Amino acid sequence: MTADFVALLAPWCIATLRGATPLIFATLGETLTQRVGIINLGVEGEMLTGACVGFAVGVATGNPWLGLMAGALAGGALSLLHAGLVLGAGANQIGSGLAVWMIALGGTSFFGRALVGNQVTPLPNLGSSLTDGIPFVGTVMAQATMAVPLAVLAVIFVAWWLAQTRPGLRWKAVGESARIAAENGIHATRVRVTAIVVGGLLAGFGGAVLSVDYTQTWAQEMTKGRGLVAVGLVIVARWKPALVLPVCLLFGLAEVSVLRVQSAGYEFSPHLLGTFPYLVVLVVLVLSHIFARKASAMPADLKAVFA
Amino acid sequence: MMADVLAHFEKVTRHFGDLVAVDAASLEIRSGEVLAVLGENGAGKSTLMKLLYGVYPPTSGKITVKDCPDGISGPAEALRQGIGMVFQHFSQLPALSVRDNLLLAWPKTPFWKSPRNRATGDVLAKLRELAPAIDPETAVHDLSVGEQQIVELVKVLNIRARIVILDEPTSVLTPAETDRLHGFIRQLAADGVAVVLITHKLRDVEACADRIAVMRRGAIVDVSHRGERSMQEIVTLMMGKTVDRNLPSPQPVRNPVDRLVLKNVSAEASGAQLRDVTLTIGRGEVVGVAGVAGNGQTLLAEVVAGIRPVMEGDVLLDGERIARRQPGETLSTRLGYIPEQPRENATVEQLSLAENLALRDLAAGHRTSGTSIELLHAFNVNPPIPGKPAGTLSGGNLQKLVSARELGTPRPAILACYPTMGLDLAAIEMVYEHIFAQAAAGAAVLWISEDLDDLLAAAHRIAVIREGAIVAVEKNDGTLTRDRIGALMAGMPIVSEAA
Amino acid sequence: MSLVTRFPVFAVTVTALCFLFLAAAFFAALGKPPLAMLYSLVVYAVGDAYSVSQTFAKTTPILLCALAIAVPGRLGLISVGAEGQLHAGAIFGTGIVLVAPGLPSVVLIPLMLIAAAAGGGLYGWIPGILRARLDVNETIVTLLMNYVSVLVVSALVFGPWRDPASQGWPATMKFPEGAVLPAVPDTRIHLGLLIGILLAAGLHVFFNHGKWAQKIRILAGNRKVGEMFGLSYAFWVVALMSAGGAIAGIAGIAEVSAIQGRLQPTISLGYGLTGFLVAWLARHQPLVILPVSLFVGALVAGSDALQLFAKVPAASAVIMQGLLFATALAVPGLLARWRAYRDR
Repeated sequence: MTADFVALLAPWCIATLRGATPLIFATLGETLTQRVGIINLGVEGEMLTGACVGFAVGVATGNPWLGLMAGALAGGALSLLHAGLVLGAGANQIGSGLAVWMIALGGTSFFGRALVGNQVTPLPNLGSSLTDGIPFVGTVMAQATMAVPLAVLAVIFVAWWLAQTRPGLRWKAVGESARIAAENGIHATRVRVTAIVVGGLLAGFGGAVLSVDYTQTWAQEMTKGRGLVAVGLVIVARWKPALVLPVCLLFGLAEVSVLRVQSAGYEFSPHLLGTFPYLVVLVVLVLSHIFARKASAMPADLKAVFA
Repeated sequence: MMADVLAHFEKVTRHFGDLVAVDAASLEIRSGEVLAVLGENGAGKSTLMKLLYGVYPPTSGKITVKDCPDGISGPAEALRQGIGMVFQHFSQLPALSVRDNLLLAWPKTPFWKSPRNRATGDVLAKLRELAPAIDPETAVHDLSVGEQQIVELVKVLNIRARIVILDEPTSVLTPAETDRLHGFIRQLAADGVAVVLITHKLRDVEACADRIAVMRRGAIVDVSHRGERSMQEIVTLMMGKTVDRNLPSPQPVRNPVDRLVLKNVSAEASGAQLRDVTLTIGRGEVVGVAGVAGNGQTLLAEVVAGIRPVMEGDVLLDGERIARRQPGETLSTRLGYIPEQPRENATVEQLSLAENLALRDLAAGHRTSGTSIELLHAFNVNPPIPGKPAGTLSGGNLQKLVSARELGTPRPAILACYPTMGLDLAAIEMVYEHIFAQAAAGAAVLWISEDLDDLLAAAHRIAVIREGAIVAVEKNDGTLTRDRIGALMAGMPIVSEAA
Repeated sequence: MSLVTRFPVFAVTVTALCFLFLAAAFFAALGKPPLAMLYSLVVYAVGDAYSVSQTFAKTTPILLCALAIAVPGRLGLISVGAEGQLHAGAIFGTGIVLVAPGLPSVVLIPLMLIAAAAGGGLYGWIPGILRARLDVNETIVTLLMNYVSVLVVSALVFGPWRDPASQGWPATMKFPEGAVLPAVPDTRIHLGLLIGILLAAGLHVFFNHGKWAQKIRILAGNRKVGEMFGLSYAFWVVALMSAGGAIAGIAGIAEVSAIQGRLQPTISLGYGLTGFLVAWLARHQPLVILPVSLFVGALVAGSDALQLFAKVPAASAVIMQGLLFATALAVPGLLARWRAYRDR
């Protein structure tokens, strides 16, 4: 009995973990960005760019790790545009994020043409002869790659860093009030640029994980709004890095359920099923507004963006 | 002890556009001494000290600080040089804990700020000394204003400041807390710190000043040692003429008819509460509300003005309900309502002065009338250009603009919250004149103020609010004293009065 | 206050010049002669009758989507939902046509338009009510909802509404004559454009004159004060978001009916996002949206033609819009900083 249950549960767990991993990186990155008081809708573009560049480098070099690194750097580079517009030219944050997204859409569309249909060397699985025997964990490890534990470690590290270190405190201060942070000798602009770039690096990395590790293909606009979902999930996670993990797993679960329903042979339009993850995020977003006092958790300087 | 000169102002001037905020000021700041910088609102006291703190540079003149040849480039540098300033609006992050706020300002915070780290324990030492009751893990927005001020003071003390500047610190304290602060100040000076106390209250000067610098219209008109001048002389220097503080006193009312009635009002909003508030104000009556800031005054005003809904109870004006029940209801307030912070709460910055004066009509969909110029002049709003966007006005002028709108036509009731904040004496007199004129014409006036002297001089009755409840309503018939009100405000047992 | 004087001519000129420079750089990076490309772009946009017709064809949905964003934008709401509302309107409009294809056009076309407006309006109402009641951020809700209605279109077109005759490419049946919006003969200038222009004029009057204009200005400037004097922010949020959605819905059915002739998955080429860009550039002023959407429509039409004839990649239109947007965001701020630095 238990063996059957485990056999049923394991593929769900694996799929959820793997599906959620790209989103975890992007959401974590955007959480840091929003904690310093900046909203970056360009996350979608950064993920897309990371996916495209990561895939290209992975194919060209045959090394998925180089691809992941390249994807991260590409995302970081693109985020510099957002930083420049918002902090250098005082541009509106929403508009700037959308402009970055537009440019990434067009850019990846163009550069990605050549990549369609290519094969990339995937990341090796975690499993080994040592672990294959272990009932549940072994199956999971056999199918998962390094990306998953990296995501979990990243969440843990960022949560600790923000809560327990001096630079983490300074970043939080900048998000609450750049003016007061400056009075305490903190260079608010420098912190914000750093946070935006870190967000871009993480989003780019997440995008690369999506193309190189999860799907192992490239397709136009393949992120399908995951970056925007990330922005919404930051709010659901109340801007707390630790909550990013469960919230993204929820989204991953929603996606996986869709795929399972399809493969189970039910007669359901795949397109209609495809709306399910977005609807789940919307519902969770609404619920989090009903049940929690959102206003109190939002970094104060971020509120000014929406006022 | 020979006092060191720690800082020196030499003919310092500061312009903001056409406005001369500080005019050729020369002053010395000495260690071990409490220097009171005294002047009425707008005299330039805050600006003078902000120049020292590096918030902005002087337009001309020089400020030298001992052991600091390069000058102060900004507040961060000032902190490094041992100059700390406690502003009227605290420089704290309300969402973070007390400990985090202190660690933020402390130069020796280690990378890992774990509670078990010995270094982070040091940052709390002074806090434990001054206020052991404050739990360092509470978020600052959960503290009372007096407690927040202590945290602010600890921030400054933690950097071993040699110059501590306090900007109007007693405006938010109960009389008892004020006495405690005066004690701290004297202790600091005894320890060798140079304390600069910016204030407009003679009481502060009497309690702890060693030297008194009087400012008027941006210039330092006199510097004297304690005892050299009488209080009357100092007042004259402050005001520029011999002035008896001439608050127009309201006409006495006999057996007033109930006009504005609060019945068992309970409400709650963003951390503040009102608990079973009952208050009745009659025709022509002026009822003052005294209390430490943050005890529910804002919520009280917003409930009476119909902005926040009541959970229980009612507010009636001339027998008609004016309280809001559901958040979705739309009510247009019939009271003359002068809220605190007029920029955020009473004006639309993008609209012109004329449009702001006619806001009620515009919101109701009516055309505007053309009386704006007269109103602007009557209330001394500067510059009196009806077409100018309201956002360009200074805080004081916005206060006058809102007063003009609310007090310019007869109203059944007036709700005034700190209506003289940020105004100079002439403007204060003008606003009071208009408020009491409304009372004389039959309006019921509910007046929330931080100035006990004003309330005692002019209100018929004074209600004291504490923690969202009205703890007492006293007739102001000449026997009511500051001490009694202070005790009620603080919730202390009433001791027999010292006159 | 005159809306023209609020438009800094200098900043606009500098923006235009910067954009042209960036566009030229873009072409150079692709290995094409920049000036020749820019010239071709202009020619393909307005060079002959066909190009002009194409430009107007592109302008119409952009204009309508821009108005759809500008209407809630006047209250300070940041809606990016025109794309989703466009598709929702297309669904509802197509639904009416599929249910009653035989009706005469005098009846069918208004019904179709009303249905589309209702569908788009509903799709705008949802984020509106969420914002009004629960203060849920409308930007994120509209962005996510965009994906949903696009997928629903595909679901319908691959599923119950699929025309068996369309073999390789899923689509509904071709719209009957009675359901096609009237157009200027031999061009792609159709009723939708007229509707857009009339709406722009009407919205200008609505937002600048009359009693509602003042109420909205007050609420947009300071919500608390507006509510203090009896105005309802919640009401206007819902009303304006729904109205905006309705306009985008009309854009959707106009594309389906007049340009594509049937509902299919590719009815929009990102008009929603382009509309946002235009509304933003025009500072949400309806009369300014008219020339700006024409300009961007010309840009899109020209880039499309450039792609066909000059072998410039298809994504150029999107990239150019992104560059235009980025330039328009950067220039005013940089100019202000330069001026402040110079005045110091």
